[in-house]
This record gives sequence, C-alpha cells and structure tokens, in this order.
Amino acid sequence: MTGFFGEDAAGTAGTWVAAIATLVVLGSLLGERRLFGWSQHLLAGLATGFLALLAIREVIAPRLVDPIIAEGAARPELWAGAILVAAAATVPWLPRRLAAVPISVVVGTLAAFALGGAVIGTIVPQLDATIARPGATVAGTAAGALAATATGLVLLGFVHGVPRGRILTAAASAGRWLLIVGIGAWLGYLVLSRLVLLVDRLGFLLGDWLGLVR
Amino acid sequence: MSDRWRRIGGPGSLLLVLVLGAALWIAPSLDGLTLGDAVTDGGGVDEALDDLEPSPIVLVGFDPDLGTYAEIRPTVRTLLADVLARDGRIAVVSLTPEGRALATAELARLARGEANAARLFDLGFIPGAEAALVDLATGLTTSGGAGGQALGRELAEDGMDAVDAIVVVGGNDLGPRSWVEQVAPRVGNVPILAVTPTILLPEVQPYVESGQIAALLGTVADGAAYRDGAELGNLDRLTEQTEVAVLPILIGLLVAAVAMGQALGARIVGAARSREREVS
Repeated sequence: MTGFFGEDAAGTAGTWVAAIATLVVLGSLLGERRLFGWSQHLLAGLATGFLALLAIREVIAPRLVDPIIAEGAARPELWAGAILVAAAATVPWLPRRLAAVPISVVVGTLAAFALGGAVIGTIVPQLDATIARPGATVAGTAAGALAATATGLVLLGFVHGVPRGRILTAAASAGRWLLIVGIGAWLGYLVLSRLVLLVDRLGFLLGDWLGLVR
Repeated sequence: MSDRWRRIGGPGSLLLVLVLGAALWIAPSLDGLTLGDAVTDGGGVDEALDDLEPSPIVLVGFDPDLGTYAEIRPTVRTLLADVLARDGRIAVVSLTPEGRALATAELARLARGEANAARLFDLGFIPGAEAALVDLATGLTTSGGAGGQALGRELAEDGMDAVDAIVVVGGNDLGPRSWVEQVAPRVGNVPILAVTPTILLPEVQPYVESGQIAALLGTVADGAAYRDGAELGNLDRLTEQTEVAVLPILIGLLVAAVAMGQALGARIVGAARSREREVS
C-alpha cells in the first residue's frame, strides 16, 4: 500500500487515476504508443503546473513580492531579484546588459559554491580518508593502496590521443577494464532498483487498486 | 533494434510483467526468502539515532527522485516514525521541486496517520541549489514554514544550532553529497544520515567510509534490515504494512541474467565465428 491516498472520495479518485495512468504506461509494452504519449503529456503538464505554483507560492510571493511591499526601499537586492525574475520571463523591453548582471551573479555564485564544496567537502576529506590513516591495519592500508591504484589506472584509461609506450598503454587498458567492471556492477544495481520499482507498481495495482494483495 | 526483436519484445515484456504480477499475488512472502538478513545491519542508523540527545530535532532534507522513491519509501516512512517514536521532532525542507512534491505528500500522510503535529515542522521549499544549502546552513529561517509552534520558535531562535541530526532522503540532484559538501563544513559536528536508492550507492559509499556520513541506508537489503529492527510501538501505523515482495524481484533478476547472458553469448559466438572466418 503506497499510502499516498486517503480513503475518502478524493483518495479513491486519485487511486483510480493513478491506476489508469499506470496501466497506460505499462500498455506501451504492447506497443500502445498513443495513450503512452498522452500520459507523457499529462506528466509534463502536471509538472509544469506544479513548478509554476511552487515558484509563485513558495518563492516569488513570500521571498520577493511581500518583502518589496514591506520594505522595498531598504533592500535594494530585492530589486535585483525582481529583475532576475523578469529576465527569466524574457521580458523583451528589459535591457540585456541589465538583465545579464543578476543572472551572471547567480551562475557565478552557484559555480563557486559547487567548486568550493567539492574541494572542501569531497576531495580533501576523501584524500585524507584514503591516504592518512593513523593506526590503520595492514588490510586497511592494502585496501587503500588498491583503491588508489585502481583510481590511477582508471584515470589513465581516459588518456587519449597522446603518444605513449607499452607500459602506459597496458595501464590504460587495465583502467578501461576496471571501468567496465565498475559500470557492470552499477548496472546490476540498476536492474535490481528498477525491478523493485516495477514490483511496487504491480503491488499498487493488485493492492491499492484491486485489493487483492495486502 | 531489429524487427524481430521488436516483434518479440512487446509480448516478452508483457509476459514478464504477468509472471511478476502472478508471483506477487500467489507468494507475497516466503520463509527463507527475505531481504533483511544477518549480513546487513540496517546501515548503522539505529546506533546513530541512539547516540542523539533526548527529544532530538532532526532536520530532514527531503529530495528524493519521483522515479526511484518507491524503492526507499518504506524505509523513509519507518525512519520518520522511528524519530517520532524516540520523542524526536522533525523539520522537513526540500531543495528540489520533486522533493517538495513528495515531502508534501508524506506530510499529508503523517497528518492522516495522526502523527503529533507539534513534533513536525514544514520548512517548505528553498530555491537556489547549492546556494540554498549554504543559506540553510548559515541562516536557517522559519518564515513561511508551518507546523508545531514551539518547534518553529526553537528553530527560528537557534537556527542550525538547534538541529541534532540531519537525515538526507536522496535520489535527486541535491542528495547526501551536496549536504556533505555544503552543509557539513558549516555546521560542525551534526551527524548526517542518508537514505538513498541503490543506484546512488557508488556515489555515497565513499562518504560513509570516510565518516562524513554517519549512517546510510543505501540498499534494499539495508532498508529491510532496518525496518525489521525498528521498535515503533503504536507509531507502527505510520509505516507501510506491506513489505516488498522478494519472489518477483528474484524472478526478474533471473530473467535479466538470462537475457544478458543470451546477448553476451551471441556476441562471443559472433566474435568466434568472425575470427574463424579470418583464419580460414
């Protein structure tokens, strides 16, 4: 039981709509593409509507419009936000140079946070955890060395178009095989994951909708 | 894709679905065929929650993916119920629209299940991706939020200092990795627990090994083991009563293995024949 729907009339209607949509999607296995296409349109339309609602109700109104009305003169950064919204809505009369400023700030800020976070939160701590291991056991050190070797070989596997000798070629080849093994293992996870999702949908049809499985 | 494969692909797929459905119907549970076993320990979540202060405030970063949420849904519901069963309080925040949609649905479900509303606070949706995480870590605000007033006041006054643990429900772009990168360096020693679909395991596992994530429920088996061991009392009503059926998954895996083996075998045979032709 997914539990997303209550037992009232609205919940029952929701269950039926979801069941029909599920059957339509599964119907594509039989080659029924038209209904499947409509279900994709339905998903896209619902997602767009939800995004618009979310943007207006939880972002633009409470974080931009309300503060501008309350204290617009004291907070000039909000006007930059308003310009950004207008730019995002592609208001044609807004000068491009003016609209480019807040967009540039947003893109630059996100890139800076992402890069800084990757260095501080991932690269340095991961190197620290892999290399610096005070009091590590022999097995742990060996595992770390193995991981470092595998990482190095896989990185070498990405070296293309550079003249190289036999050793480097062999190392790059080993790296590519390690990469294939890794992707294979990941695909195994993917198959399991998708099967769980399929079983969940079948469970929804047999349980929530038809009431055959509890 | 060849015409022949197109012809057999539809009926074959339908047959697989029917077989899985029949297996689901006939044998919902079989002794000896269980997901949680002695090999998995529930990802260390139980121990991590035990280590928290009494009546902890847990910030839940709720950003799963619509496509994979079904895999972690029973585990997430059990985890939320577990926190409440430990007299914990939960503040939910989402940084992606998909996450927000699912968080809204889960909060509505908790309300239908008559969970103590005073112990829940909905911080809503915060736009801005990584910048939103930084904003959250440095200046958590409750304006626009809804839920228990006392909890809201505590969060408004102390911000992230009031938070005892962070649970990240992952699957979307802003998952456990983003929280580790953006929030963890800014909030000190607040433990991060994560629930993710299996497909994210290779991405998240290194952070568990390095200790940056205190506990992880990253596989179906981990989730099942955790659910088996959770002591929820009457809050059991907030969890999913139907467990994931194992037999259909096993059948599906066998079918997938046969299909892949057939493809691999055909490729090997093809390569052998082509070499034979070259030699002759």
